[in-house]
Amino acid sequence: MIFEPPGRSLSGFTVELDVYSGPYEWLLALILKDELEIFEVPLRELVDLYLSSRDREVANSLERDTDFAGSAAALVLLKSSTLSPAVEPEADGVEDESLSPKELAERLSEYLKIRRGAEHLRERFAANAGQHPSAHTLPPRRGRLRIRPDRVSLAARRAFSRLLEPPTRHLGPITVTLQELANLISVALAGGPVSYEVLTRDMDRLNRAVAFAAALSLAQEGRLTLSQPEPLGPLTLAPSP
Amino acid sequence: MVSSRPTSTADLRSATGLTEKETGAALLELQERYSQQTSGIVLRNVAGGYLLSTNPACSAAVERFRQEARPAPLSGAAHEVLACALYLGPLTRSGISRVRGVNSDAVVRNLLERGLLVEVGTDRDAPGSPALLAVTDEFLAATGASSAEDFPALQELVAPEELARVRERLISSGEPPPATEAP
Repeated sequence: MIFEPPGRSLSGFTVELDVYSGPYEWLLALILKDELEIFEVPLRELVDLYLSSRDREVANSLERDTDFAGSAAALVLLKSSTLSPAVEPEADGVEDESLSPKELAERLSEYLKIRRGAEHLRERFAANAGQHPSAHTLPPRRGRLRIRPDRVSLAARRAFSRLLEPPTRHLGPITVTLQELANLISVALAGGPVSYEVLTRDMDRLNRAVAFAAALSLAQEGRLTLSQPEPLGPLTLAPSP
Repeated sequence: MVSSRPTSTADLRSATGLTEKETGAALLELQERYSQQTSGIVLRNVAGGYLLSTNPACSAAVERFRQEARPAPLSGAAHEVLACALYLGPLTRSGISRVRGVNSDAVVRNLLERGLLVEVGTDRDAPGSPALLAVTDEFLAATGASSAEDFPALQELVAPEELARVRERLISSGEPPPATEAP
């Protein structure tokens, strides 16, 4: 038996609509995030889809039905509240008074004309659908280009900025090379193993660092072995057998 | 062939060096050659200019080639909002909502994103100076119109008799019932 986490009983329900195709849960998320207009979602079709995919034999069918009914009711509420008339308070704070039959008739006449205009537009859109311009899109016309100052300054900063070089003044003039220190180590190892501390006792900080790098390089080449029994303990260099 | 937007006759004259008469004659000849009945490429007179487009009969093949689906058809609410902007515009969002009787902000936002509506200014007389909305050249091209004058007048869309019936019905329903004498 597969147990679904609470509240996820509809996770397997997918929908196929003109405006969206995919999991129902994602559809809800898109609507709540305003990525999809609730106007465009045919709720009746959604309910029909659910009813057609409903399986009474599923163990949690009651839970699924309950969850769907709850979410569908929320969608109906959301759609109806979005469609409700926009209340525009009058200048003196009094809400729009009820219209007289004559005013109502005027408004309805105007809306009727707009409605017919909309039907005419629908026909024209349909008649002209599927015509694609033969050329590629040219750069925006002058005056229509939208420039975002923040993006321009960011692009300018990127174009004119260079990576800052790390400060090296504290290192002083470099007077030794890796090769010189490698030769020095090779000579010292001729007499047998030597500790790093003894080897670099008379060196300054820079020479010690280069000597360590040279020792690592020689060890990598197999010309010596490094041993350090414990972390941060004495480091011993020994010639490779 | 090099512009995806309608090109005005003035621009065509400027580019070709032809006179107005010669340009008009050439365009007429081209429109006959590139008509919807005979050619896969159609010369359309839309949005105040001329535009070469593919024939709608070839749309399925073109969309397969470009690997893009046709935009979802507009809803009834969207058509109404566009009709408001076309016939009554430029007007504000609240103006549109007032005509339709419902909040239209979401529909307007969608149409702005699709490039069919554009903000063309502000209503300085209204509180907060809300934006004024109007239809775009893309709208004219999508409806195959050369200009806003290509659409039938609003008055022609509804028969006067129908309007009169609506008025009469509403006004009569608002009148108080005739007083009856007590028995």
